[in-house]
Amino acid sequence: MTASENIDLARASSSSLYRPSPRRLAGQAILHLILLLMSFVSITPFVWMVFASFKHFQELVRSTALLPQVWTLENYTEIINRVNFPAAFGNSALQATTVTLCSALTSAALGFVFAKYRFWGKEKLFTLLLSTMMIPFAVVLVPLYITIADMNMANQLSGIIVTGLWSTFGLFLMRQFMESIPSELLDAARIDGASEWRIFFTLVLPMATSALAALTVFIFLFNWDNFLWPLVVLNSPEKQTLPLVLAGLRSLYWTRYEMWAAGSMLTVVPVMLIYIFASKYFIRGLAMTGLKA
Amino acid sequence: MTTVHIDNWKESIARMRNLAAASGRWAVRKPQFWFGASIILPTLIWYWMFSFRPILNALRLALVQYRILNPAASKFVGLDNFYQLFEHPLFFVSVRNTLVWALLAFIFILPLSLFIATCLANVRRGRNTYQALIFVPVVVSLVAVSLLFRMLMDPEVGMFNQILRALYLPESRWLAGSASALPTIVAVGSWKGLGFYVVILTAGILHIPEELYDAALVDGANEWQRFWRITLPLLGHTLLLVTVLLAIGTLQEFTFPFVMTRGGPGDATYVYNMLIYSEAFEDLRFGTATAAALLQFALILFISLLQIRLLRPTWSY
Repeated sequence: MTASENIDLARASSSSLYRPSPRRLAGQAILHLILLLMSFVSITPFVWMVFASFKHFQELVRSTALLPQVWTLENYTEIINRVNFPAAFGNSALQATTVTLCSALTSAALGFVFAKYRFWGKEKLFTLLLSTMMIPFAVVLVPLYITIADMNMANQLSGIIVTGLWSTFGLFLMRQFMESIPSELLDAARIDGASEWRIFFTLVLPMATSALAALTVFIFLFNWDNFLWPLVVLNSPEKQTLPLVLAGLRSLYWTRYEMWAAGSMLTVVPVMLIYIFASKYFIRGLAMTGLKA
Repeated sequence: MTTVHIDNWKESIARMRNLAAASGRWAVRKPQFWFGASIILPTLIWYWMFSFRPILNALRLALVQYRILNPAASKFVGLDNFYQLFEHPLFFVSVRNTLVWALLAFIFILPLSLFIATCLANVRRGRNTYQALIFVPVVVSLVAVSLLFRMLMDPEVGMFNQILRALYLPESRWLAGSASALPTIVAVGSWKGLGFYVVILTAGILHIPEELYDAALVDGANEWQRFWRITLPLLGHTLLLVTVLLAIGTLQEFTFPFVMTRGGPGDATYVYNMLIYSEAFEDLRFGTATAAALLQFALILFISLLQIRLLRPTWSY
């Protein structure tokens, strides 16, 4: 975070050495043009979808106008009443929040232990845990399903929660971050008589806020979006999460696109709200991970 | 005699000191031991249950004919699952589609994301805003994006063809045409994934020391030369990361084809992960499915190692 700010600062100061020649200004204008175009391409489909969800079917398939001529909420009321979207929303929210909170906490604690403790076989264990990231999910798909079924968690929300309680990616990210916390600070707290739990919760966690914010957003979005594993575990409609119910609209409503749009909106809006507030953490977190990996 | 005694005496003092020091260290480290143990122990149990044991089981499953109702009676069949896989009518089609997918994704994403990242790194105002906007498709649900583009690409009433029609341009069948379906679906996937790689590459470019560009400027290098001679070579580590992530991601594609086209029309977009899924949970052949997954793992491992071997820069700065 500070690193990128420093770079920005350095770049700004060194580029201010150059006089803003007309050629440079033209160059900047072209850059803005390209980036505006790219931003336009990135968000226009969603803008179209927002308005499409308020249109009647006839209008949606006939007119190319972006704004609806007649605004309607019928799509939303029908989809909420006919398809069990509220239940799916609850399932998704419960699953994603539980997994996010638990795995953020376990990642932070493990990252702390691996960064600041010394014990026999530490590096070997770390490599072993990290190596599981290399295995494609398809390899464990069937054996993991058998495990879940043996534990009577097939077709249960707990079946997709229990597999997400730890996150190897989170462990990697948090260890990277915890290494930067000065050990002297921890020792000072120890001499003052603080227990390790207290050190972890009141000293280490607050210092790791920015990394934790990035990690929680990552994990939340991944779980909100997760498709294959819930598809395998959850069969009965009332147990399903949002992406599954949304995908089901394809066969339920055939080509009634206004229904698709309304359903997609209900799935996307919570994520977009989080993104509006957390995009900074998300992008910084990703940039940080990319540089350190 | 006396010297020996003195030596012994010195030794025992030293031993006592060591012991005291050790126990002192233990007194200090005891709380850390308990904290560490209470974190590591559940971790080991979880990883054993949900990661290591399933991986080991996968190796076993691939070699047996799995009986779902009575797993204990599963028969060891050696490499039979692999032979059955090769005889599967969709095996080679799905491998071909998956490789084409990965190749097309490289062609779509790599140059464009590098270009956009260079623009972002050089633009002086509004970088964060542009980045946040370009990143939007990455955070939006895969299934929603799948449905969204199916609507836009409907051959009759979709927005894309309506616009083409209005401009008197030739229309496309998009996802409905057997030739156009695969490139179209990869384009949608690339559109969704682009922002992710843009952010990583932008961070990589901004990480390159500014002095190098200043030096090049003094030497009279133009923008083109600075990009090819400084940015691209010094971006080596980031580019390697991007290509490895891209390969790993595209070789495991599932949700897009599953939701958008069900592998169709015909088998035009039937990818390898769909084969694994249908073997496992539609035909209930757990052994063959796991064998297929292990093959996929071998391929991904091979390609990643190849990329690291070929692309890894031999320097750092």
